[in-house]
Amino acid sequence: MDDFSQVRKEAARILSKKKVDLVIGFKKGTIPLKAQPAFISSPDDVEQLILDGFCQNNLAVFLHDEPKDKRIGLICRACESRAVRALAIEHQLKRENLYLIGVPCSGILDWKKIHNAADGQITSAVEEGDQIILQVGGKKQTLKRNEFIVDSCRKCTRREPVGVDILIGEVQPNEIGTDDLTPTWGDKFAKKSSNVRYKLFTEETDRCIRCYACREACPMCYCTECFVDHIAPRWSESMVTPGGTQAWHIIRAFHQTGRCVECGACERACPMDIKMVYLTDKLNDDMKEIYGFEVGADEEKQPPFATITLDDKNRFTT
Amino acid sequence: MTPKIIKKNALQKTIKKWLKSYDLIAPAASKEGIRFKRITDPKEIVLDRYQNSIYPPKSIFLPQSEVMFNFENGSYTMPEDAPRKRIIFGMRPCDARSIWLLDTVFNKAEDLDIYWGEKREKALIISIGCAAICETGFCDTVGSGPFGEEGSDILITELDDAYFLKPLTSAGEKLISSLPTANDAQSKRARAIQKGSIVKDHTPADLGKIRDRLYDAFDTPIWKDISESCLGCGVCTYLCPTCFCFDIVDEVDRSERVRNWDTCMFRIYSQEASGHNPRPSKAERTRQRIMHKFAYWVDNEGVSGCTGCGRCVAQCPVNLDIREMVTTITSLKIQ
Repeated sequence: MDDFSQVRKEAARILSKKKVDLVIGFKKGTIPLKAQPAFISSPDDVEQLILDGFCQNNLAVFLHDEPKDKRIGLICRACESRAVRALAIEHQLKRENLYLIGVPCSGILDWKKIHNAADGQITSAVEEGDQIILQVGGKKQTLKRNEFIVDSCRKCTRREPVGVDILIGEVQPNEIGTDDLTPTWGDKFAKKSSNVRYKLFTEETDRCIRCYACREACPMCYCTECFVDHIAPRWSESMVTPGGTQAWHIIRAFHQTGRCVECGACERACPMDIKMVYLTDKLNDDMKEIYGFEVGADEEKQPPFATITLDDKNRFTT
Repeated sequence: MTPKIIKKNALQKTIKKWLKSYDLIAPAASKEGIRFKRITDPKEIVLDRYQNSIYPPKSIFLPQSEVMFNFENGSYTMPEDAPRKRIIFGMRPCDARSIWLLDTVFNKAEDLDIYWGEKREKALIISIGCAAICETGFCDTVGSGPFGEEGSDILITELDDAYFLKPLTSAGEKLISSLPTANDAQSKRARAIQKGSIVKDHTPADLGKIRDRLYDAFDTPIWKDISESCLGCGVCTYLCPTCFCFDIVDEVDRSERVRNWDTCMFRIYSQEASGHNPRPSKAERTRQRIMHKFAYWVDNEGVSGCTGCGRCVAQCPVNLDIREMVTTITSLKIQ
């Protein structure tokens, strides 16, 4: 972001005026290509706050552990703001206790791809406009930012934060390089026959180590007992076998149907580089097509699978 | 023990010879980067000096999921497939050290874990040192180093046109006894490379002092502050080459008793049947992880449980850096 000082100023204001007791944002990471979530409770500390392409988490996830009556400021990109809306609709937080500072986003960078593109060990990485400037073994290496944006951000069409208390910065309609039309993994997947799709799915899940980083990074996964941890009945085994692991991925995707805010935090959290966004993208597309529902688009509408009305069509029997 | 040489253009031939009597496990390309796999074609081996595998090679001796036995009508049968002799080729010293550390848990004669022991006694570990410490590595500050020797039967130093092999055990010596002996120039070059690998601004951490200060901080609220961004996933523990906690379950449908990796970072790890949880929040669980690595290991075995491989630092989804956490708590540096 070009002028993040305005955001820091606003964070300091709401803290010193005691509108909130905590501001959640990002701060510089300990190594290149990384950022850490920041929990700021004093206006003196707002200078730590940053926002760049290495801020790979969805900050709304940290609202799970906070008490609902705590007043919290959150620095929100579009996907974070959608998550807050979705969590509010599901009664997981009290919107009136939050102060959302909306900010534009130029897309999150794929740090592993940058790492692999570097000619050696990276000692520093900085974004400058449409470039990424690396220092590699004392030498400068420049990369095109456009080529290193994660798939979920490349496909993003809802870049304006929703339901925020203040928007700082201008959301450019084509801020992210949509001129990069190379198909994403998910695009290629969708074009294949069902046999090939199953093979690709099994190949992806084959290296899953059941660390549940995807689940823990997801703002919409907040169950106090996840189905995989349920013993009786045993929904999914904890062994790293194809059966158990595939069940894990499929059922988590189904539990996200119409709820996933398409932030991609799951894929970015995965240490084994497993694709999974393509599953929830498809289910969300179905929700839009069949029920006209899009998560985060409305402040009050319940996700179709969370609610029942008398005029629901019973598609399974008619 | 006499150091030996394999010319780089003779490596494949040498490995093919070994393949006649051993299964070979080595780092190979995989979708997530590098992974230790069973190799039948030496061309697949990747010895990229800047990257270690993401998934740790402890899985070779402690598989993430392992069938302990099958049961039926009150009796049980042990798994049938006994592992062949194996060479683990291309491990890094941090990982070889992790096997050495885990041997103190699983391989002590008076307390032998038969599943670990059977695989371990049939394995030779040939590790390759690192000419430069990797980006997130800090092996040299936790009692090891890029040419650390613990856990290896043979340690390789990569020269310009050859591999310099230092046998460290009699099993290692026997394996390479027929190879050409290294000459003085090669030995000198190897020593220079090993010396040059030490990073100048790293200093060995004072592990005893760190342990003491961690204990001092045990009941303070600092653990809550440093664990605030922790997601509570299992990335750090599963990728850690020395984490060894496991959970035993009965897969009744298949009549199998299975051992799976477990992680103290999950809430349910210490959840008791009554519903009580002695580690109810991330603060207690993070404290447990750090204390185990840097205090209890030091108490029990006199060495750090952390080998400085850096996987947790590189892969933590929220960039929680164990070095930073230890320094925040103890005010002592651990690079």
